[in-house]
Amino acid sequence: MRAMFHDWPGLALKSFYWLFVLYLFLPLSLMVAVSFKDASFISFPLGNLTIDWYAKVIQDKQFLDACLYTIMIAAATTAIATVIGVWIAMLIGSLRGATQYVAFAIACLPAVVPGMISAISLRIFITTIDLPTGTVAIILGHVVHAVPFVVVMVLTRLRSMPGNLVDAARDLGADSTVTFFRVTLPYLGPAIFGGMIFCLLLSSDDFVRTFFLGGYRPTLPMLIFARVQSGMSPEINVMATLVLVVTAVVGLYAEYLTRRSRIR
Amino acid sequence: MAVGTHAAGGGIPVRAAQMKYSTGIARVIHSPLYRYTLGAVAEWRYGRILLLAGVPVVWMLMMHIGPIYEMLRISLLSSYPPQPGVEARFTLDNYALFFSEKLYWMPLLRSFIYASIATAVTLVVVYPVAYYVAKVVSAGSRSRALLLLLAPFWAGEIIRIFSVIMLLANRGAVNVLLREIGLTERPIQMLYTSFSISFGLVYMVCLYMLLPLYSAIEKIPKSLLDASADLGAGPFTRFRRIILPLSRDGIVSGCSLVFLTCMGVFAAPILLGGPTTSMFSETISSFFHGASSRWPAGAAFAMIMLAASLVTVGLFMRVVGGTKQRTF
Amino acid sequence: MEPVVQFENVRKSFGSFVAVDNLNLNIERGKFVTLLGPSGCGKSTTLRMLGGFETPTEGRILLSGRDVTMVPPNRRNVNIVFQDYALFPHMTVAKNIAFGLELKGVDQKQIQRRVSELLELVQLQEFASRLPSELSGGQRQRVALMRALAPDPDVLLLDEPLSALDAKLRQTMQIELKAIQEQTGKTFMFVTHDQEEALTMSDTIVVMNNGRIEQMGDPASLYKRPGSAFVATFLGETNLLRSDVVGTDAGEAAVRWNGMTIKASAGALSPKAGDAIYVVLRPEAIQCSAGEPGVANRVKGRIRQRVFKGNHTSLKVEIGEGHLLNALVHPSEVEGLSLDDIWVGWSAEATTLIPSRNAS
Repeated sequence: MRAMFHDWPGLALKSFYWLFVLYLFLPLSLMVAVSFKDASFISFPLGNLTIDWYAKVIQDKQFLDACLYTIMIAAATTAIATVIGVWIAMLIGSLRGATQYVAFAIACLPAVVPGMISAISLRIFITTIDLPTGTVAIILGHVVHAVPFVVVMVLTRLRSMPGNLVDAARDLGADSTVTFFRVTLPYLGPAIFGGMIFCLLLSSDDFVRTFFLGGYRPTLPMLIFARVQSGMSPEINVMATLVLVVTAVVGLYAEYLTRRSRIR
Repeated sequence: MAVGTHAAGGGIPVRAAQMKYSTGIARVIHSPLYRYTLGAVAEWRYGRILLLAGVPVVWMLMMHIGPIYEMLRISLLSSYPPQPGVEARFTLDNYALFFSEKLYWMPLLRSFIYASIATAVTLVVVYPVAYYVAKVVSAGSRSRALLLLLAPFWAGEIIRIFSVIMLLANRGAVNVLLREIGLTERPIQMLYTSFSISFGLVYMVCLYMLLPLYSAIEKIPKSLLDASADLGAGPFTRFRRIILPLSRDGIVSGCSLVFLTCMGVFAAPILLGGPTTSMFSETISSFFHGASSRWPAGAAFAMIMLAASLVTVGLFMRVVGGTKQRTF
Repeated sequence: MEPVVQFENVRKSFGSFVAVDNLNLNIERGKFVTLLGPSGCGKSTTLRMLGGFETPTEGRILLSGRDVTMVPPNRRNVNIVFQDYALFPHMTVAKNIAFGLELKGVDQKQIQRRVSELLELVQLQEFASRLPSELSGGQRQRVALMRALAPDPDVLLLDEPLSALDAKLRQTMQIELKAIQEQTGKTFMFVTHDQEEALTMSDTIVVMNNGRIEQMGDPASLYKRPGSAFVATFLGETNLLRSDVVGTDAGEAAVRWNGMTIKASAGALSPKAGDAIYVVLRPEAIQCSAGEPGVANRVKGRIRQRVFKGNHTSLKVEIGEGHLLNALVHPSEVEGLSLDDIWVGWSAEATTLIPSRNAS
């Protein structure tokens, strides 16, 4: 009796948490449900179910091309942003005092600036450097956006690294390059892996930068955006569901791997 | 930290004499090619600095500061991109344009209001959730409880906005449910209104509130709460006197992040809003598209938005986070 | 024989703080040398200079006759066992040990042989494929030691490597460390603030204070014949009696302390009458008895405190008014003694004189 009375805030918080989880999942679940609807418009109740829309979508040339394009851009973004992000983190890690603070602020700038402004400024910038809109511009924009996240994740890990490890490697005959590749880089491994997954998700989800920097070939978010604007159909639900499933699998797998490495 | 055997051990210990060691690395670092190039640079003090700082400094100056600088420069020009026969000159007209018409400044005000509402609502809604995960859930299942909240955000901006339509459309789940239980005869118009925009914004950005709040609350020592409970403080006193002040950092960074993100949203107002709810990013965007594109004006408007957002966040940080807590 | 390490007038300052001042030190090959001193005395800086992680402000350092003052750590033939071991967490035990060999360009067969040899030396053959996180503190310590020994350094530097271990394990490791040093014949340079560690393992102890060498020598002579009050109090427990010389006679001096005359061996000192001086009297040199003992120095006293510690008893004996002497005696010596009326005594050889200007 007494215990229950004392724990009412705990119970209230617990119910609130689950309500919040429901709030997060409800729209997405509805979206998945509608993808099976046997009608050409979106409405409730669902009525008859079908997988015809899936059959249609996986034969949709434009959709498949957008998938491929998105993956290509995400892969390139991840590769470049990881290298630059780790490099910047190494630099910031070696700085002290005010310089470190300033460098960190500059490194984080693209993640803090509102997305719209970042997109506009990049659009102007590529014109200045005479880079046409299209694949390269998109990748550049995505890399700029992703680098700060890699920096923060890697820097957090770097700060937990015992300073003696680098000294020990030097002592045993490694110069600074060898030390970086044989000791520091493996130590940063889990953080770099986490950063790479983050880059993949950031790049494949990005809309506003792609919108301003892209050419005529759409990425997945662009394709879905265009289809929504030109009229709703369960087809869109199917595409969104497929993307949702793939990102969820990637995310869960990454989570599983990082947790396993943490237990080690 | 870990117990158990390493995979390579597999229970049966491998003898050191049977293990493979890397001899390639020595071949590389003792080769003349390495010794006279990268190796020499790494041995030289300034070479090391160059190796470490060269690429990052160039990248950050060019790609982090460059675009913003370029946008500022363009916003002060009379015409851009350069056209043959037209000479661009320095001007403040682009900024003056903003104040000249309601059509221009009204959307900024609207953006500002939506962002503020979304920030406030997100804070109030997410705070208890963050607190629950950080302090009530047992340490063992904490990461699972957190994962459940993170998972929906992997879906991405556009998909999440689209899913909100499922809920709020005239024939969407909410309206159908209301009709079924007999509360309404005709559907309530929720989509393409201020409500759908606010709802969509909150749905889009609540993660940015959750993570800073969670990490701030998690750092509050449990012993502090126990001690205050021991001294007779009830749950509300404890919350007001201890938890809230100690999670201030999280509140400040969460609110700043959410506010900045909301100011910069582009797709949500287009997909969820109507003609009367247009936000400032749409205004800016209109300068960059179509035949009548006027980039300098767009750049100036973007600068105004950037300044307005940063000033707001700065003021907020000063007011809420300014008086530094005395730590005991 | 040429010393393996030579410090010549080495000075190291950080800003206005002088960490090491005018250091001249030669270390013989194959010796176990300990740098002993309180924290901030410059011992770690000395070690890091030899390792190559600090550059001397002045002076030079020679390693096997070669000037290495400006040589980076990866190009000098010394290896360090770090205080927290600094084992590479992502490499197995064998890989950790092989690290230095791999970089030297030793071939596969030789690395395999050397690594298993070293693991055998510390009986860790079964652990070759474990990660450092799967080892106990003592095992990590051994791996760190073997990793530093693997590339066959001229000198092995040990930076307080036992301080992270618990007391019991520390004692075992002291013995083991000394045994490994003797077995391998390597020069060990060991840094510690723990006088017991220094006394147990060293061939030579270098006592440092305020960036300078206070005294150096083998443990027994340092303990028996400390050259300064600092050394006397830092190495073991001691009674430091401030006295005045009243006379000298054939290597012995008579001093006055607390109203009594003490005969003490003068050691290297040649005191003159009237000099102010310290008498160093170790607690275990004092004997207690009911009757008057037959030694050079004897006086009556009262036992103020008695603590039984198993194999010995620790006493505080009051001599005259308010002067306390610490004594360590065998428990049977004080059995049945009346507390208020005992004799204490010690021989002249058990004491050492140190000039009082060295007193801090």
